Amino acid sequence: MENKILKYMNPYLAGIGLGMTLLASFLIMGAGLGASSGIARIAAFAELCIAKTHTLSCEYFGGYGDKPLNYYLVFMFGGIFIGAICSAIMADRVHWQIERGGKSSAKIRITFALIGGILVGFSSRLANGCTSGQALTGSALLLTGSFVFLICIFVGGYLTAWLFRGQWND
Amino acid sequence: MIKTMYYLNTLDTGTALFAAILIGIAFGFFLERAGFSSSRKLSGVFYFKDMAVIKVMFTAVITAAIGLSCLISFGFISLDNIYLMPTVYGAHIVGGLIFGIGFAMGGWCPGTAAAGVACGKIDAIIFLLGTVIGSVIFNELFAFIKPLYQAGQSGVVLVYDSLKMSRNGFVLLLTLIAIIMFWLCEWLEKKRQLPIVSNNSVVLKIMSVLLLALSLGLNFTSSKTAAAQLSDTSSSEAQLLESIDKAQDHIEPEELAQRIIQGQDIIVVDVRPADEYNKFHIRNAMNIPLEALHQELDSFKNKSMIILYSNGMTHPAQARDSLYRSGFTNVYLLTDGLNGFIDRCLKPISLRNEPLSEDMDLKVDNWRSYFLASETMPKSATPQASTSQEPLVDANWLEKNLGKPSIKIIDLRSQPEYNTGHIPGSLALSVENLRTDINGIGSMLQPADMLARHMSLMGIASDDAVIFIYGDRVHDATLAGMALERLGHKNYAILNGGFAIWKASNKLLTTDLPTVIASKYQAANYTDEFTADSQTVLKYVQNKKAVIIDVRPADYYNGTKSDEARAGHVPGAINRPFSEDIVKTNDIQQFKSVEQLQTAYAQIIPTKETKVIVHCRTGHQASQTFFVLVRLLGYTNVLWYDAGWSEWAAKQELPIKK
Repeated sequence: MENKILKYMNPYLAGIGLGMTLLASFLIMGAGLGASSGIARIAAFAELCIAKTHTLSCEYFGGYGDKPLNYYLVFMFGGIFIGAICSAIMADRVHWQIERGGKSSAKIRITFALIGGILVGFSSRLANGCTSGQALTGSALLLTGSFVFLICIFVGGYLTAWLFRGQWND
Repeated sequence: MIKTMYYLNTLDTGTALFAAILIGIAFGFFLERAGFSSSRKLSGVFYFKDMAVIKVMFTAVITAAIGLSCLISFGFISLDNIYLMPTVYGAHIVGGLIFGIGFAMGGWCPGTAAAGVACGKIDAIIFLLGTVIGSVIFNELFAFIKPLYQAGQSGVVLVYDSLKMSRNGFVLLLTLIAIIMFWLCEWLEKKRQLPIVSNNSVVLKIMSVLLLALSLGLNFTSSKTAAAQLSDTSSSEAQLLESIDKAQDHIEPEELAQRIIQGQDIIVVDVRPADEYNKFHIRNAMNIPLEALHQELDSFKNKSMIILYSNGMTHPAQARDSLYRSGFTNVYLLTDGLNGFIDRCLKPISLRNEPLSEDMDLKVDNWRSYFLASETMPKSATPQASTSQEPLVDANWLEKNLGKPSIKIIDLRSQPEYNTGHIPGSLALSVENLRTDINGIGSMLQPADMLARHMSLMGIASDDAVIFIYGDRVHDATLAGMALERLGHKNYAILNGGFAIWKASNKLLTTDLPTVIASKYQAANYTDEFTADSQTVLKYVQNKKAVIIDVRPADYYNGTKSDEARAGHVPGAINRPFSEDIVKTNDIQQFKSVEQLQTAYAQIIPTKETKVIVHCRTGHQASQTFFVLVRLLGYTNVLWYDAGWSEWAAKQELPIKK
């Protein structure tokens, strides 16, 4: 356990690395980082495969057209996975596991992860972005809405985290 | 000055997708390095067990914010180049709260979960599955959520404007807050003697000094320019300030786009340097450098609406103030400048985050085809270039040009009529000779090679000016015109008024037959791009991306009369009978004036570049509407469904409407 922790990068240096990546994204693409839009488009693609006419007639997903994956944030999402796997292999951190507290049940962890995911997927669409697209990118752009979103994430998280602490019991 | 892909509108190109992958790789790499591929580590922040989330996230925010502000201060990039998300207070507050709950519960956020999957975290896979489900739920419930999704829409709001601070002043404040937070986090972790504490303090100290120095320096350099700007504007009149305050001096991009398309009398002025103007500018805009504005615009003073734009807002705003002081009251600024225009009017629908209403969808399509088409096409390509004949000629013109070898006159009346008297030098042709059966559909315009043979027999060369003379059917001349269109022969015209006007003006007639030397007609092209088949029409019926005009008489369109297997019309088609474009006085049929036609078609077709399909029963009458739209009015995207209703009605699988 100790060794693995030490392999993590100094958080401030990692932060500077992330900040420079974000800056590069601003300068080259003219748009910041994003993850949830990629997921939403994958979701739209999945729904298109199942019910094409229905999806195209939806006001929200319909706006993506019939080729929702043809979007830069879908490719960025793929890039995140590639970059992370490179780093993880370098640090020998690739293992199949359900990450949870030593005394917690896997079932609870999985249930929480699923419901948490649904809430996050839903609210990312509502707010037009997630921690990457709004909180990180928007805050660096000094956008009011993004700061409001960022603050509300921590408010929501700190208010309810106590309820979900069971999954991390050691 | 850096130009981003967003600015250049190339975010949908392969290069952009490749750049997105590379940036994503760097993003994922640093997320994983920081330990964000562990849900336990991420969740630690909510239990004060591991404050890495705060440290990494805020370091990234201030690094990028300081970096960007530096680049802006030194003029390397302007904010116009970056996509700024609008603030929607309701959606951001509620979205943030729900997101926070989901984050604490699931232990992941979307980006970190992708990193988690890369490390083999099964909970991350489940979490991502959840986010997909959550997105689908949002989509399905969108109708109910929409009010919340739009609650408190405020456009792009910058936090330093909200707080009434300067940009760089706010960056300094943010840096201070972040650094205090970092030290608090360190103190907390030390106090709780958490096992994860590593020796961060050296890095933190260096970074704190560095970032503070940068943001302080930023304020020092910018204070000079800000002061200069302040003294410049302080002299402006109260009235000016008032109109600015009420935003009466602005025009929204959408409004400008509509006004231009409607052909309103407005002067659009691009104040950017000529090279930027040459790369891209709003269609019909003039390029006037700031220093020449007073002089160049003097003749338009207080006459028509003058709209100034640049990439952003600062330069035109200063120019506007200056013009106002010398008495111009008709000057407006384009809100958000050219970038706003591109973003709001020309950004491809597929790249937009918010779905658009159907109405907006159509508008954006039209704007894109109008404002982007002009850039890709050489200027002379719109209404047929000067090398071609004017589309309509009158009897006097024809009389003057009789006998010229490069002018060929084709009389489309019946043979007996021709034989009793015709314009000297004219040849007889029946348009039915230009038509044939194709795949069981009658009266189709012949393929190009057959048409070329007819031209050869009539001794026509590909650079001749061909003048068509009609009898009692104007659309005979336009159908013959279609034959030339198919051959890529643009140099043809119609005698407006036909044979009747020649006769009425007592001009020379003859019964002599001209001698013809057969030519070897060389067609410019053997396929045309304007003839549509039923599949193409069906496609546009389904996607509603074209204006379909049924030019048959109204009772055929309504289905009260029918000569075919099925009665009615193509779904979505509108009826504009071909006869409406013709005016008949004393047995002389002529085209209505271009102004009249212009007005009439502007009401059915949004722009000159809109996709239009014209059809009738056999393609004959529709050829006339085609001629009116393409030749007389300069519509650039018109298709001709030659097979028309006779095919549509016969094919039972095609939808009809009554």
